[in-house]
Amino acid sequence: MSTFKQHSVLPGFNLALGFTLIYLSLIVLIPLSAAFFRTAELTWTEFWTVVTTPRVLASYRLTFGASFAAALTNALFGLLIAWVLVRYQFTGKRLIDALIDLPFALPTAVAGIALTALYAGNGWIGQFLEPLGIKVAFTPIGIYVALTFIGLPFVVRTVQPVLEDIETELEEAAAMLGANRLQIFLRIIFPAIFPALMTGFALAFARAIGEYGSVIFIAGNMPMVSEITPLLIITKLEQYDYAGATAIAVVMLVISFILLLIVNLLQWWSRHRNALA
Amino acid sequence: MSIEIRHLSKQFGTFAALRDVNLEIQSGELLALLGPSGSGKTTLLRVIAGLETADSGQVLFNNEDTTRQSIRDRQVGFVFQHYALFRNMTIFENVAFGLRVRPKDCRLKDAEIRERVTNLLQLVQLDWLADRYPHQLSGGQRQRIALARALAVEPKVLLLDEPFGALDAKVRKELRIWLRRLHDDMHITSVFVTHDQEEALEVSDRVVVMNEGRIEQIGTPDAVYEQPANPFVYEFLGHVNLFHGRIHRGRAIISDIEIEAPEHAEAENLAAIAYVRPHDIEIDRVTNGESALAAHIVHIVSIGPIVRLELAHDDSSNKNLVQVEISKDRFRELQLTKGDRVYIKPRRLELFPSHASANSIH
Repeated sequence: MSTFKQHSVLPGFNLALGFTLIYLSLIVLIPLSAAFFRTAELTWTEFWTVVTTPRVLASYRLTFGASFAAALTNALFGLLIAWVLVRYQFTGKRLIDALIDLPFALPTAVAGIALTALYAGNGWIGQFLEPLGIKVAFTPIGIYVALTFIGLPFVVRTVQPVLEDIETELEEAAAMLGANRLQIFLRIIFPAIFPALMTGFALAFARAIGEYGSVIFIAGNMPMVSEITPLLIITKLEQYDYAGATAIAVVMLVISFILLLIVNLLQWWSRHRNALA
Repeated sequence: MSIEIRHLSKQFGTFAALRDVNLEIQSGELLALLGPSGSGKTTLLRVIAGLETADSGQVLFNNEDTTRQSIRDRQVGFVFQHYALFRNMTIFENVAFGLRVRPKDCRLKDAEIRERVTNLLQLVQLDWLADRYPHQLSGGQRQRIALARALAVEPKVLLLDEPFGALDAKVRKELRIWLRRLHDDMHITSVFVTHDQEEALEVSDRVVVMNEGRIEQIGTPDAVYEQPANPFVYEFLGHVNLFHGRIHRGRAIISDIEIEAPEHAEAENLAAIAYVRPHDIEIDRVTNGESALAAHIVHIVSIGPIVRLELAHDDSSNKNLVQVEISKDRFRELQLTKGDRVYIKPRRLELFPSHASANSIH
């Protein structure tokens, strides 16, 4: 036990930490706790009934399922896009690089309307898919498409800088030792970008869970089939059922938190293993 | 394995990295590629490795053209300046990497891999670090691991790109002695790149001096140091003093001194530059009748057993300071101090007609 104050070269640790905590409280924790307080108006049985009705359960499955699928898709193709942007030189590269961020800037409702127009039965893309028996708009697939769209930038932007930092010497060294391209990717490159990929995946996943604007246009919002949890919450709010709305929100919050925690642990574990620190 | 390089040229944009390079490397030899940065030495090494393709020319291993051979088929070990160890793998796995990525049908059994890696780690005297990660090792240790990793696949040729460039002076010295000893035990054909002339002269069997994409001279360390082929090599290998003078019918005239220069017997009053190493200059307080240059001492630096003097000519036409190295005993004997007047005389010099050296005088 030491009574000496630890001195750091960076001044203002106490001040910075204090500010961080106050800021986080004001911006994140207090509003979130309000949801919990509001929910507390319900008894346990009431709470349980509200959050376990088949309609709510279906919406949880859809929201988390579609978000997970969309985040997974983004992880795969985001990695591919980042790879192309980092590894190859071609004309129009800057343009494509700028396009990546567009889903961030676009109002989500606009994205939803545009996607609906494209994928509806008479839309540009939808007219070709419909004869094949694939309906995208107004189905869970539509939700998945919308969530994939809005989550695209996350993986690209987290993986890109890490990929840029991998020294070509490492790959050359592996090639000199007889490794083929697949082995170089799997054993050298992938371990290095895995933590960043996980971060991108987690961000895209979290963003998809909370997404509302783009989804409601393309989803069709049929109860039990294509109704997402955020919409259910809005519906409850419109009926002045604040306690019911927050109850559903609280469950969503807890599940999201647990999932993100798992992702963070995975990331910490892989980073630790990679000894990148 | 012997290596033959024929008419190799390589261009990066407008920059010619290699210009018609020809070189033969004998089997089991330890060869140094020495030159300033931008001289093409690293490019040459990378072309031999197959990491770079030449625009024209051939690289032959044991008289076999490798131009179309893939990196993997060349059986070359490569050591990078910045080690290029895989940081997500332990030291053991780093060394084992080349054995583990082999196709299934010619991969060694796990126990055999374990044995070979352990032997290699013992060879580089770092077997106690097997379970560590690269970032936990010092620079010198990392480079030894990188060498063990390159040796694991039993290469026929070992190529080292500035292997000691990122290390501090003491570790550098230790490692190059160690590399020399390792080479003497294994006799694997090795080529290493360096810009450090001391390193090249100390470690290698032969030195290839490169400049601006061309080979200036090939020879044993003694040969390139004692008989430099041209002014560039002279200036690049160690300190050198330049004296402007003339050559006339087998005699060199530099200010007040005249020296026999029989190899220039047919020269008629030709401007020339004399190159003299600092330790090839005699110094005395008095002239013994022979011709000598008068100078005074400007600066005295004592480095271990030798003393380096900087002298200024009394004759103002030669403005450059002259560097002279003498032994500490001689220095004590002469009892020199700053400002003293002395007489100097080159013991050995090399003359180059000045038009030939015009490019390389700074």
